[in-house]
Amino acid sequence: MSTTINAAPAAPATASSEMSRPSVLRRIMRDRVAGAAAIILTVVVVAALFAEWIAPYDPYAINLLNVMAPPGGDHLLGTDSNGRDILSRLIYGTRNTLMLGLVGVIFGGLLGGLLGILAAFYKPLDGWIMRLVDVLLAFPAILIGLAVAAIAGAGMTAVLIALVVATIPDVARVARGAAIGVMEQEFMEAGRALGVSDFTLIWRYLTLNCISTIFVFLTLRFGQIILIGSALSFLGMGAQPPTAELGMMAAQGRDFLFMAPHIATVPSLAIFVIVLCANLLGDAIRDVLDPRLQQ
Amino acid sequence: MGRQIIHRLVISFPALIGVLFLCFVMMQVAPADPAQIIAGPDAKQETIDAIRLELGLDRPIIVQFIEYIGRVIQGDLGRSIISNKAVSEELAQTIGPTLELMVGGLAMAIPLGIMLGTFAAVKRGTLIDRAIMAISVAGVSMPIFFIGLLLIQYVGFKWDLLPFTGRNGPFWAGGFTSMILPCLTLGSVLIGPIARLTRTAVLEVLGADFVRTARAKGLRERTVIIGHALRNALIPVVTLIGLQAAYLLGGAVVTETMFSWPGVGRLAVGAIISSDFPTAQGAIMILALAFLLINLLVDVFYVYLDPRMQRG
Repeated sequence: MSTTINAAPAAPATASSEMSRPSVLRRIMRDRVAGAAAIILTVVVVAALFAEWIAPYDPYAINLLNVMAPPGGDHLLGTDSNGRDILSRLIYGTRNTLMLGLVGVIFGGLLGGLLGILAAFYKPLDGWIMRLVDVLLAFPAILIGLAVAAIAGAGMTAVLIALVVATIPDVARVARGAAIGVMEQEFMEAGRALGVSDFTLIWRYLTLNCISTIFVFLTLRFGQIILIGSALSFLGMGAQPPTAELGMMAAQGRDFLFMAPHIATVPSLAIFVIVLCANLLGDAIRDVLDPRLQQ
Repeated sequence: MGRQIIHRLVISFPALIGVLFLCFVMMQVAPADPAQIIAGPDAKQETIDAIRLELGLDRPIIVQFIEYIGRVIQGDLGRSIISNKAVSEELAQTIGPTLELMVGGLAMAIPLGIMLGTFAAVKRGTLIDRAIMAISVAGVSMPIFFIGLLLIQYVGFKWDLLPFTGRNGPFWAGGFTSMILPCLTLGSVLIGPIARLTRTAVLEVLGADFVRTARAKGLRERTVIIGHALRNALIPVVTLIGLQAAYLLGGAVVTETMFSWPGVGRLAVGAIISSDFPTAQGAIMILALAFLLINLLVDVFYVYLDPRMQRG
């Protein structure tokens, strides 16, 4: 048995060396645009994480004597229709919006990755899993969000479920594709011949060799997930007032678009910047990690 | 060609059943009684009991599902809790405007995206190329409601150039101007991806032997690019439009809500907010079916564009 355990790490070695952090980070930062995107995104994430310390005002404090104040003065980005400080709500809202994207990508990635890898590993499951994936693909993310909101009521949970469910089929396809490629490698056959358990084969041989492909795909998806999440919130299916969430803030500002355009424009612009940076960074990560592009 | 279409239809069948099943499950897990929903809000208890018996809600779930499919085929989707109209009637009124919006959005996005992408490929490496690609990355990253808000605020309100709320009838009967801003908003989601992919595809084709042959024959550059390179580069672009259908549909829901466009998306959002469950379910089902249909049409068009597919 000890020989099988010793034999296992041989397979994933390529994946782990490929993803060794300092060199990947350095290669991404060499691209000036991606470097700038990474820095902006880091600032946004840090601001969202430490919202309590960074936000200048209480994001929920209503001041009816100072509604729809334009940007500048005491309130850098102005105030909304309830006199709440937009900058503070933006910082808190970014936290919720980023959380939506991360949960969608992480849980959708885990479930989709698992389905895809199982489909590649267990041939009898393949047909069933891929049929399920086809059905899920027949429901665009926004429709899943609407359906969940119709059943369970509008709220952050509805959007989270929609984002996870919408991520699963795409990731499952990518993971299956990557896993089928790995299944054809000789070390898989060697592992089987040595009597390695299915669990070890799936985890150490198969998954670790597919992880960089799945990771690259998820980084490219992250921006899209945020766009879908904020669109659902904009439609009123997501976060409910007074919670600060960027899409919902834009929706609230829409009612005052002609009097105080900044209320809707500021959160919309914030979503744009976050997604743009995520997309640029995702492209750079793909260029660095995708072995096919390096050849 | 005919065989291909039948093949595609057969492939779409499990997805179709899946969509219907999920809509059926929605009805089952919803916090409302289906018999009550179909009977309407003011129905008496006897009517509800009669409908329950008629619907066979005590029978096995699979039997109920088959009967549900039968009702869907007959267009019986229940009644709206809010307006008391038949859901099928509400859908019939709203599907036209939604289709009009989608076709209009595509009609703006496809030529513009292909033109920008081809232009970028021909001018590869220049400032124009980089500018077009920057615009397309920005377009992909922009929330659709942001584009809509900007268009409403400037083109609609400040400059007072175009109407930005509601639909003034079909586009051939005076409704054309009210269509422009919603279609532009919806189309903007697709311009970026189409331009990006067209650029890649044209660049790939420009290096191919048949393009070199066309040039060697002394054809004009414009004929080479449009007649030879672009037609072959369009194949992946058509696939992309199919893949983007999800964004088109999602975008339509947001656009309709923003511009008070009387389509299925707005109907669905309004129904969910007012807990009008039968209408929401019917609208979601129609949108999912429309999505399947778009993908089917794209597949068929793909076969038409690439004759090799007919043999494959």
